[in-house]
Amino acid sequence: MPLTSTFLDELSAIVGADALVLTTEGRMTYECDMHTFYKGAPDAVVLPTRAAEVQAVVKLCRRARVPIVPRGSGTGLIGGAMAPQGGVMVSMTRMTAVLEVDLPNRCATVQPGLINLWLTQTVAQQGWFFAPDPSSQMVSSIGGNVSTNAGGPHCLKYGITTNHVLGLEMVTGAGDLVRLGGKVAERPGYDLTGAAVGSEGTFGLVTAITVRLTHTPEAVKTALAAFRTMVDASEAVSAIIAAGMIPAALEMLDEAIIKAINAGTGAGYPEGAGAVLLIELDGPRAEVETQAERAAAICRERGAISVSVARDDAERALLWKGRKEAAGAVGRLTAAYLLQDAVVPRSKLPQIMRELVDIGERHRLLIANVFHAGDGNLHPLICYDDRSADELARAKRANEELLQACIALGGSVTGEHGNGVDKCQSLPLQFAEADLNFMYRLRGAFDPDRLMNPGKLLPTHPACGEGFRPARPVLPAGTWV
Amino acid sequence: MSVTTRALGDALRIRLGPDGATDDPAARAAAAVDGCQPSWVARPRSLEEAARVVALARDEGLAVLPRGSGSALGLGAPPARADIVLDLSRLEAILEHSPDDLVVTVQAGVTAGTLAAALAPRRQTLPLDPPGWSRRTLGGIAATAASGPLRPRYGTMRDLLLGVRFIQADGVTTWGGAKVVKSVTGYDVPKLLVGSLGTLGVIGELTLRLHPLPEIEATCLLLLSSPEAAQELVGRIVDSTLQPNRVEWLDAGALVACGLPTAPAALAISVGSVEPAVRAQHAIIAGFAASAGARVETAGPAFWRVYDHTLAQTGGTVLRIGTLTSRLTATLAAIRSALEPLASFAVTACAPLGVLRVAIDGGEPGRLGQAIERLRAFVADDEGSVTIERAPLALRTSVDPWGRVPDGALALMRTLKQEFDPGRSLNPGRFVGGI
Repeated sequence: MPLTSTFLDELSAIVGADALVLTTEGRMTYECDMHTFYKGAPDAVVLPTRAAEVQAVVKLCRRARVPIVPRGSGTGLIGGAMAPQGGVMVSMTRMTAVLEVDLPNRCATVQPGLINLWLTQTVAQQGWFFAPDPSSQMVSSIGGNVSTNAGGPHCLKYGITTNHVLGLEMVTGAGDLVRLGGKVAERPGYDLTGAAVGSEGTFGLVTAITVRLTHTPEAVKTALAAFRTMVDASEAVSAIIAAGMIPAALEMLDEAIIKAINAGTGAGYPEGAGAVLLIELDGPRAEVETQAERAAAICRERGAISVSVARDDAERALLWKGRKEAAGAVGRLTAAYLLQDAVVPRSKLPQIMRELVDIGERHRLLIANVFHAGDGNLHPLICYDDRSADELARAKRANEELLQACIALGGSVTGEHGNGVDKCQSLPLQFAEADLNFMYRLRGAFDPDRLMNPGKLLPTHPACGEGFRPARPVLPAGTWV
Repeated sequence: MSVTTRALGDALRIRLGPDGATDDPAARAAAAVDGCQPSWVARPRSLEEAARVVALARDEGLAVLPRGSGSALGLGAPPARADIVLDLSRLEAILEHSPDDLVVTVQAGVTAGTLAAALAPRRQTLPLDPPGWSRRTLGGIAATAASGPLRPRYGTMRDLLLGVRFIQADGVTTWGGAKVVKSVTGYDVPKLLVGSLGTLGVIGELTLRLHPLPEIEATCLLLLSSPEAAQELVGRIVDSTLQPNRVEWLDAGALVACGLPTAPAALAISVGSVEPAVRAQHAIIAGFAASAGARVETAGPAFWRVYDHTLAQTGGTVLRIGTLTSRLTATLAAIRSALEPLASFAVTACAPLGVLRVAIDGGEPGRLGQAIERLRAFVADDEGSVTIERAPLALRTSVDPWGRVPDGALALMRTLKQEFDPGRSLNPGRFVGGI
């Protein structure tokens, strides 16, 4: 949709000419997030510095009925921060301030563009950290984390982003600047903060975030166990949880990933292992030491071919080194891959691992696995040759079958990456018409004109909400008038 | 459309069977909310039956008041209308417990005590302990967002509710969330239902995240010479690597109510973990206590049962105050100056979260109402809140039991109510801003 010159003049008057990107080359750098399948350049990009500017932009766009797309660091994996219908993209990269740190009350208020890790770096000296730690935390913004309700390796123990968000300042799709929640934990009314976290910009634009900070644990212990098969390792995961432990992280890597990592970084994962389990425990020292021994013993009982426990920070860093570089190592395996984020109940891991092998064989594709085993959140990388249309088609079919297998086991479409354009058409796998209808209406309460990040999160609706009436309860015979 | 009581009874019996609804005067009187007697009490045996009642009410413009154990009916304003009380206590099945996944799915009428007994053999727990928790239904705990002493370690229902099946105002049964511990598919609908007091939908089924029961747990009581000393100690605990299960603050009145030794302030702290960790953490706490000049008493295994029982029973009027952890002493002083001339009271607090609970006995409603407004003005500086958790009707009609919700947020809440219950058939008038 071409924007009128009057509109652009008004936009420029709000944010200033130096905060407005209109050139083709400039706009192209915003055409996709890390999921490069989905491309759509905005017609204009604004880089506001204040909530008042954000609100003025929303009001202007609303008047002109121009779509608005929020963007943080653009590190999402779901085609969230791109503009399929054009419109104005609001980039938060200039709103990076830490507005307040309040350690006695364990919280901080930040602007949405602040990089996740920067917040932890701000408070680490005093013994605190921001718990949500997506693998992208060196580059992803807290606003983006809030938008997708991001997880990370340590959310098994600490919970995902929403468990750490106390309040939001937000410009709704209706153009209102509202404050939801806040530093005080106890407050009456609907939990609008909880509803808005993970809404992927479809409710409005978040302009400030109050987060809970977590005290650094007394001790951290990391162990690495190698197994012959993924099934053995999956069973060890269940046994560790059944023994009453909630490790801070329980990460699994399969043979393909292990080989790729060893070839690259020399993390020194055991050769010939079919699976590696990375176990991290944190908390009071006596608890961590007792539990680390137990976890190691459980792994040995379940047939681990080796178990090593890091003795110091350097050894701990080495054990993590491979895991952290897994995504990069995949580059040595394949030119292109499709990434899944589905979840299965933890107890179904052995079963889904077997199905995964079947699916890979059926479609003659390598499926590499590096994932958050503790909470059943899979990240299979379906590798394909991007020069072959046939391989891509097979990869897409494998991807779809995998998703359906996870749902059939009682799982979820996405565990931490979000919905975006990539997963939104899969929601009907998990939700009935009535459930989706509730969500369409929920969104409408925040964004009545549906201009906020259109085409994301919810499946496109044939009737666009009109005449969409789910079934009411069936009455027995003799219904009363 | 107006309906006669008899016609409504026929309609309910068609939907629920002959013993699924009653207009027996004693049953109606027992189900009255704030003096509003319903015409009928419906007691569905399934979610489908409950949905039929809600659909009927919507079609006929009748008000439905969902009810669990009835223990939290003092929360909120008196209902604007009351036609049918929807008693969910027969929805009492534990539908699925998957111990390896630490996940359980229950019907809304299951009590927290029943669930705890079912989970105990697997050494698992749903760590939610609002006062009187064992007799309260899980649907009710979710609808009221009630929390207890375990909150600092485990969070609230908000953090533990993975999925929810609920009945919308038009009778459509709807599912939100997931049955796995990690999911961001679609919107986070469960969060919206928690604390909504049945005004957006009737919670029928909950999928909950469980935790392992700690191997052992030990509690100590620190008796302090002043609230300031307690405040400082709370600060040290919060800014430490300790991982306590509970850090409850008791004022002098609460110590008396619990039958404990008297002191100007006390902290009851429990630690749950493996044995060496419990011992080590208690040693650290003892060190903190010594430098704060506290007297340390070991509390036996019955301590938290007595504490829970006392909290559940004490106070004809109970206030829940949200403030900042760093403002506990100041808030306590404000409570004292507002209430001391009027009534006797006991204050407890979930110290690391700044959530206080004031149990008041006696007091003339008009003057108590003024005191509550003064407290609201005091906590407003920090955007705190004062909610009346229970109180005689006279007090709850003289002062808004919820207090003021900021305008922008309240407008959104009203929009949501209008969207999901335009006929105002679900718990009308009971929630914030007259919702």
